[in-house]
Amino acid sequence: MLVIGLIVYPISRAVWLSFTDKLVGYPERFVGLRNYLYLIDDDGFHAVVRNSLVFTVSSVALKIATGLAMALVLHATWRWRNFFRGLMLLPWITSTVIIALTWRWMFDAFPGRGFFNSVLLDAGLLSRPIAFMATPAGAMTAVVVANWWRGFPFFGVSYLAGMQAIPAELYEAAAVDGAPPWRRFWHVTLPGLKHVIIVTTLLTFIFTLNDFNIVYVMTRGGPGTATQVFATYSYEVAFNQLRWGRGVTISIFAVPLLAAAIALVSRYLLRDRTA
Amino acid sequence: MSWRIASVGGLVTFALIVLVPFWWITSMSFKTYEQIQFATSIYVPKPFTWENYTGLWLDTRFPLWLRNSAITAVVVTAITTVIASLSGYAVARIRFPGRELVASLILVVYLVPPALLFIPLYRVLAELGTTNSLMSLFLSYPTFTVPFCTWLLIGFFKALPTELEEAALVDGATRIQALVRVLLPLAAPGIVASAIFAFTLSWNEFLYALVFIQDERTLTVPVGLNLLIYGDVFHWGQLMAASVITTVPVVALYMFIHRWMVEGLAAGAVKG
Repeated sequence: MLVIGLIVYPISRAVWLSFTDKLVGYPERFVGLRNYLYLIDDDGFHAVVRNSLVFTVSSVALKIATGLAMALVLHATWRWRNFFRGLMLLPWITSTVIIALTWRWMFDAFPGRGFFNSVLLDAGLLSRPIAFMATPAGAMTAVVVANWWRGFPFFGVSYLAGMQAIPAELYEAAAVDGAPPWRRFWHVTLPGLKHVIIVTTLLTFIFTLNDFNIVYVMTRGGPGTATQVFATYSYEVAFNQLRWGRGVTISIFAVPLLAAAIALVSRYLLRDRTA
Repeated sequence: MSWRIASVGGLVTFALIVLVPFWWITSMSFKTYEQIQFATSIYVPKPFTWENYTGLWLDTRFPLWLRNSAITAVVVTAITTVIASLSGYAVARIRFPGRELVASLILVVYLVPPALLFIPLYRVLAELGTTNSLMSLFLSYPTFTVPFCTWLLIGFFKALPTELEEAALVDGATRIQALVRVLLPLAAPGIVASAIFAFTLSWNEFLYALVFIQDERTLTVPVGLNLLIYGDVFHWGQLMAASVITTVPVVALYMFIHRWMVEGLAAGAVKG
């Protein structure tokens, strides 16, 4: 109850703050919807919304595809399956800050520090190093890759658990009917995993849309505003520009989308529990 | 046969995807500043040096940050384990009005992302006068560890047979005795798994620590590392060494109990 209090009270404070022009050091003044109207017209904020969606949708799509591949590979492995499952979960338990630092170096412009530049130069595919993190597209790719690397093992392990729960008779029946492997995958495996896929996608959507750590550590939202997302922009406005009212309003803009995702995923998870 | 080759190939590919970044930072942590700067001995450190580790230990505040992180993670894990076991038990086993509602609230609270809460939480903690101390982390981390662990443990408690507990009650045990003597030992794997989740979540947390703490001596490791990269001099090797040192305890802990964690995850969070 105490914990719920520690959450509910801040949320109501957040909503109240979003209607004020609170600057640090000054008392709050009620300004109605002015923060909301300002942001709706703000080009910087439009970029933030676009970046957040690109970041979230591409990470989630990559995670689903790789997670499925990983689960299929593990499912086909008999010996050492537990060992490899444990190995592949390593990114998921590593600190996000360290993952972000690591990938910053992997994409670094200098050979010797940057893995990709070192390898590509050595292989003779490049004549000069590429400054990945200095271009908007490169920086976005880097943050998506880091986020994907962190998240896909969780998808893979969840899908593996889902695949193991599909009764073997279904595959046998399909094989007897002469269905080739890809049709068995399409008509037996995927429908069997539908539930797990929906739940993992929604969960990751919620946390990726509000991801702070990876973007902040890797790019600080740059170059320019190329990778600025909801959480980093909100931090920037609240703690660097000291405009708390507006900072809070930025995160509140994501709430309708979040609330929908949260409502959906809790319905799924609660139904599991009572069933 | 071709399936066999494809699956082994896939396994190797995934193992490489996971291991290459770890190998890259580990290898760098054993190189000198010059080796990194001038891209000599790129893939394997030659000669191999411990200077980054000793430098990190002696010239930076890293040991202090490590201590802060450890204290925070231990305190938060203890708070979380006690609250989450009791509330998980209450929701799973005691019939009281509105318990379905409480279960869904716990889930919803867990799903609210920290990025939405850090500004108002900062104000609350400032009013309590706890910002800039580890106390602010002891108070704020349970806002995400407790709902998550409670949710996991509700699943565990529900899965235990009720007969055992009823037998203890019939034999004249009180509810507390039945919980402590009968249920808790049975739920031990779940409780250990949830404690490890709580530990890992606090050990790795970044946003709250970044926002709530300014004093360099009170920082936790993730925020301290972030400070090092934007410092005046780039101590690449030291940063990598710090990353390695920070990752090792969690990986070791996890290697030891990973089957429990995976099962806990499957039982509590994903499959229900």
